[in-house]
Amino acid sequence: MSAETVLEVRNITRRFGGLYAVDNVSFEVQRGEIFGLIGPNGAGKTTLFNVITGMTPPTHGELFYEGKNITNKRPHEIAKLGVGRTFQNIRLFGTLTALENVMIARHIHTKSSVMAGVLGLPPAPQEERAVRQRAMQLLELVGLADAAETQARNFSYGDQRRLEIARALALEPKLLLLDEPAAGMNQNEKGVLSGFIRSVREQFDLTIVLIEHHVPLVMGLCDRIAVLNFGQLIALGAPEAVQNDPAVIEAYLGD
Amino acid sequence: MEGFLSTYGAAIVQMALAGVLALSLYLPLMAGQLSLASPGFYAVGGYVAALLSTQVFTGYPNGAYPIPLIALEMVVAGAISALFALIIGIPSLRLRGIYLALATIAFVEVLRVFALNQPWLGGAVGIYNIPQPFFSATRVEYLVLALPLLVGAALFVARLERSRIGRAFVALREDELAASAVGIRPTYYKVLAFTLGAILAGMAGALNAHILNTWNARQGTFDLAILILAYVLVGGSRTFLGPIIGGAFLVALPEIILREVAGTPGLNPAIAAFLRDGRLILFGVLIAVSVFFFPYGLITPNLFKRRRKPPVAPLEATKATPKVSRGEL
Repeated sequence: MSAETVLEVRNITRRFGGLYAVDNVSFEVQRGEIFGLIGPNGAGKTTLFNVITGMTPPTHGELFYEGKNITNKRPHEIAKLGVGRTFQNIRLFGTLTALENVMIARHIHTKSSVMAGVLGLPPAPQEERAVRQRAMQLLELVGLADAAETQARNFSYGDQRRLEIARALALEPKLLLLDEPAAGMNQNEKGVLSGFIRSVREQFDLTIVLIEHHVPLVMGLCDRIAVLNFGQLIALGAPEAVQNDPAVIEAYLGD
Repeated sequence: MEGFLSTYGAAIVQMALAGVLALSLYLPLMAGQLSLASPGFYAVGGYVAALLSTQVFTGYPNGAYPIPLIALEMVVAGAISALFALIIGIPSLRLRGIYLALATIAFVEVLRVFALNQPWLGGAVGIYNIPQPFFSATRVEYLVLALPLLVGAALFVARLERSRIGRAFVALREDELAASAVGIRPTYYKVLAFTLGAILAGMAGALNAHILNTWNARQGTFDLAILILAYVLVGGSRTFLGPIIGGAFLVALPEIILREVAGTPGLNPAIAAFLRDGRLILFGVLIAVSVFFFPYGLITPNLFKRRRKPPVAPLEATKATPKVSRGEL
């Protein structure tokens, strides 16, 4: 594994009133890694994702993305730097078609002004064609090309998750955060998802951080795993090491 | 034809202007922002035209006022409205939903009271004797300006909806957080949508100042905000055609009730009187009924949806990636 750090989480704390949702958590994610974030319900995993993507400001601590301090950056600025994400409670543009959902995510890779867009002046028509084509490619990749014109809210749960991944990939992120990508999928679908995540990493040169509840999926897929419990980082390391860590066993099974 | 135009000429011009005003509210709504500020910009535009034509371009005391000058006033009115929109939009678009609506109503009220108390805006009397290019009673000739304005605004919004900017607006309407997660800057696009709407309202105001021949603080008040909102909600808020149809329909309706339905020969005089005097009651009932039966408005995008294949055949994925079929992943 190359020793290049893509994301550094340094002493991040997020407090909601008296509750420490994330409590002094530090770790680094290396380029090309698939990094798992696990922990019981309410452990602070999604809050940590929200802090990394600028949607929830941290109470303390700092965040570095490719060496740049992104601690107080806004969500759209962080997205522009190359951090894509999906949401635990799927957030698609529900009344828009699958194609439109993905096309919207090409926003930062296009630059036509209002007038160019309205009058059809360059570069708008070229951009429009390229955006459409790229969006169709991505829908093809996640297997939704034949439903490109279907409204996003009419998709099944699993298809919505795949559409969210296609939308996140349209951003051309270097770091992709997946919040429970396997939620609502059956065993067979979870197996296919593992292969898909790996191939996407290869094809797009991605670094991936994923939150997952399903332990076998995480163990088989991730290069390293961080375990959160009550907001604190209780274990960090290779899957086998984490799996046998007494603190982790206790967090999951209780005393 | 002559009789029709003399009866409905003025209404037809107002139908076109209603469409423009409805589009001015539709634009911020496209980006998910319920702004009721349109009448404010409409008032600003009217005062700009009134001042320019009575104080600056004064070479036409009794003759016909040149049409290109009105067009120029409309452009200036649009620009000044845009400036107002930036000043008001940047702070107020941090508010959401009903709070933004309240803030924009406050803007409309502040403008009204300000205009009422400024001698240079004519105070309560307003600015009168705004010069005219046409001298017919109905002023249906104003269509030469109103129609291009409506068509231009409609084409603008229609094309915008299919551009990256329009998609950014709609993404904000659908889910602001998800939009920001794909790099869309929420405040920038909200202010942009608000400003584009303000330009349309300002231009409509400038034109109507000439049509009405006078402009005062009673133009562009809260009542108009509610009326414009009704145009958009009755017409439909999901495609640019909705507000235009809604505006035309709701302007025409009271006229038709008054002149046609109430004038039907052999109608019971009591009913005819009710139709004449109570037409606004009827109008309100019709709005309520249409919102009840057409919650998405009369015109919805689904009316135009054809069954069609994806517009571009998908290309080969760039590198070999195992494809998954639907339902498998």
